[in-house]
Amino acid sequence: MLAEVPSATLLGVEGHPVLVEVHVGHGLPGFTVVGLPDASCREARDRVRAAVLSSKLKWPDTRITVNLAPTHVRKVGSGLDLAIAMALLGASEQLSPEVLQGFAFLGELGLNGTLRPVLGMLPLVDSLRADRVVVPADNLAEATLVRPEARGVRTLRELVDALRGEQPWPNSPLLELPPTPQDLYCDLAEVQGHPVARQALEVVATGGHHVLMVGPPGSGKTMLAERLPSLLPDLDSRGAMDVSRVHSAAGLLRVHNGLLTRPPFRSPHHTASLVALIGGGSTMLRPGEVSLSSGGVLFLDELGEFPAAHLDALRQPLESGIIRVARANANVTLPARFILVAATNPCPCGIGQWGECRCTPGQIARYGRRLSAPLLDRFDIRLAVDPPEAALVFSPERTGESSSAVRSRVELARLRALERGVSSNRELRGEALEKFAPLCKQGQKLLRSRLESGTLSMRGAQRTRAVALTLRDLAGTGGPITTDDLEGALLLRGEEQQVGVVA
Amino acid sequence: MSSLPSFPASAPADQPLPHEAYLTAIASLEQVGPARMRWLLTHGSPERVWQLLKAGKISHPPSQLAIKPQELSKWVSEANQANPHYLWRRCCAMGVGVVSLGSPGYPPALANDIDPPVVLFHLGNPDLITAPSVAIVGTRRATGYGLRVAEQLGAGLAEAGVMVISGLALGIDAAAHAGALNAGPRGAAVAAVVGAGLDSPCPVRNRKLAARVVGSGVIFSEVPPYISAAPWRFPVRNRILAALADLVVVVESAGAGGSMHTVKEALARDIPILSVPGPIDSRASEGTNRLLSDGAEPCLCVDDILMALGMARGSPRSTQLSAPQPALESRPAPDEAGERALSVIGWRPVSVEHLGLRSGLDFKQLARTLSWLETHGWIQRTGGWIERRARQDSFPKRATGA
Repeated sequence: MLAEVPSATLLGVEGHPVLVEVHVGHGLPGFTVVGLPDASCREARDRVRAAVLSSKLKWPDTRITVNLAPTHVRKVGSGLDLAIAMALLGASEQLSPEVLQGFAFLGELGLNGTLRPVLGMLPLVDSLRADRVVVPADNLAEATLVRPEARGVRTLRELVDALRGEQPWPNSPLLELPPTPQDLYCDLAEVQGHPVARQALEVVATGGHHVLMVGPPGSGKTMLAERLPSLLPDLDSRGAMDVSRVHSAAGLLRVHNGLLTRPPFRSPHHTASLVALIGGGSTMLRPGEVSLSSGGVLFLDELGEFPAAHLDALRQPLESGIIRVARANANVTLPARFILVAATNPCPCGIGQWGECRCTPGQIARYGRRLSAPLLDRFDIRLAVDPPEAALVFSPERTGESSSAVRSRVELARLRALERGVSSNRELRGEALEKFAPLCKQGQKLLRSRLESGTLSMRGAQRTRAVALTLRDLAGTGGPITTDDLEGALLLRGEEQQVGVVA
Repeated sequence: MSSLPSFPASAPADQPLPHEAYLTAIASLEQVGPARMRWLLTHGSPERVWQLLKAGKISHPPSQLAIKPQELSKWVSEANQANPHYLWRRCCAMGVGVVSLGSPGYPPALANDIDPPVVLFHLGNPDLITAPSVAIVGTRRATGYGLRVAEQLGAGLAEAGVMVISGLALGIDAAAHAGALNAGPRGAAVAAVVGAGLDSPCPVRNRKLAARVVGSGVIFSEVPPYISAAPWRFPVRNRILAALADLVVVVESAGAGGSMHTVKEALARDIPILSVPGPIDSRASEGTNRLLSDGAEPCLCVDDILMALGMARGSPRSTQLSAPQPALESRPAPDEAGERALSVIGWRPVSVEHLGLRSGLDFKQLARTLSWLETHGWIQRTGGWIERRARQDSFPKRATGA
């Protein structure tokens, strides 16, 4: 007998529909899985057999063939276990085919017949065309984000009883979830001093510009970076879905009240491997840190300590907002639209103060060379961060603005970027800049003088203009870009080479 | 020694070698500096010393030279492996000129020195060495202030027809050379004295600068061309630097270090020393300020150096002091915010962050003020730091060759 049940498998952050066909025919007892399963998928036969038997169901002692269609797509992981089991029960006439009609199944089976959660439930469910979807109870919250009518079950027996109509469907056992925290991120009000860095963060949050912070240890680079996501507005519905999909595929989605709405913040350690950073792997093609931070902030602390190859691999996603991971048997496109925040010391000893640095000129030059010029070029804002004075650190009064105050300004200013058809001013290039960022007379003169004196490159001038436009948006009055905006942008841009400040 | 080519000692000797060739071969031995060289040459002519070395017949070194018996036997084996013909051809192929003490073409300033190098290698035109000449020395780890001053002094001296001598090291040395070379064809020739072989006379970053020095001057070295730099060779080189100069100017120097060593060598030779004052809390100016308090002449402008050389132009310094800055100030006066920013910046580099906090200017004012101050030459920005400038200089901001 033959039965077929729809299910799905995960590749990158996308679900791919899979049709599970099971044939129970004559012949010597045997169980084969065909259709390009990977190792964990082929192991399904042992799990399914044990689960069927321990759920007090019959195991047909004949020849069983499982085919996973389409056969050219690689099937990864254990998420097809439940679908195989259900198709088998259908093929061995323990469940009537009409009962299975219109159902899709996702989930891993335990040997005792319990259902276990799988990675990437959100994109998996999203890719299914079936009307009714059954998932493990632990995954139900995630599945209901895209299919409110999805069913969650705990065991195979429970599911079979419900399908046969012997028992009612178990009521949705949504997990006990803690309420959504107000905001996951620290507040900007806790930052003392740093007037310029504050302004820079506001500009970064508004314009999506990449920022490099250079400063001695303990100057507050990490503290500032961690507060950047609190300035970013909530994700819109599409952005929230994209971010949630990636986090689901990486097994990091913690569902509270729906999709993730706050921009993510990721800070990988500098020992992270290239695949962990970019995404990939030989079987699963998992999303890397650049994809996990898509829609939010990727913070690379100690930028100079990252291997040069890893940093240069960031150049493509920085430019295009996506990353294409290609392997021999699969090719996936992962999202990578993040704000890059990088921090580094000015020199190996970290002090970088005139006359107090203990590094030799050679050491400093070597340290500076770790960051390639094309990468440094992509930072629109380069900030020299200085430790705040002791008196400020211990002063009881907190004078700085809170994140929410800044965020409301950022949200307003971002609307202007949306009117231009881009999500942030960072994405404006050549023609678009000419159109949306006209310069006033003095502004043109100022930029020309900087270009002529050689303190600004042609690309630098363009990027300065984009940052100036963001400052204009924050001012909120519209009109052409003034010299004030340009001077502010030039101040934020800093020097071409900030690492290795001791000449 | 690894850099010494091992070559069969039986290579054909086509013609008799000049005795400079044997001096080159002796100088190529490991750990042979001027003092050991002089002792070796007490045994006879350079050729004879070489033969004695090969035969292992040189022994009983004086104790103050601290030559270990292993070193002596090492020299013997090195001498037997090396071929003076080959070394000499290599020197000639590089275009390096070799002069020895007493031969024509040997710089007269060195010939009368208390510790003259026995053999001297040079690239470029050694005849350009003529009085007057000034050595500009200073730290490798210079501040923006030091680099600017060194560059201005170098340029001013070159324009006044004074030869600038320095060591082609990073920092002050390179800035002084670059300044002198930037004076262009009007300027005087430039000389450098280096501690490494002329094959790679300086740090890689100064290679272009070294080529420019060769183009319009000369580089001297006491070390055979193919010998790479060793730390002990730099202090030894400093004595040649001091001996060649009529005057030593220290721009920026820590309390101890190479520049202070050059000063000591200059004092031993009765060569006047000028020191450029700096902030008393800057480590890079510790040495120069100490020199001033010890009685060195202060160097406040190029004219001070020219006066000390006896070729002063313009008014003596005392009148300059009595008729000070306002008359010379060509920059427009900053507005109130600018004054506030300048007072916060003081005379040490500060970060933008620090300036914003201390001056109380908001971001917009800060951006406007800094831009104005920079355009009008009141401040200079280097790597995120802001420095105040005492005066608007007339030379390009960046040392093009450095």
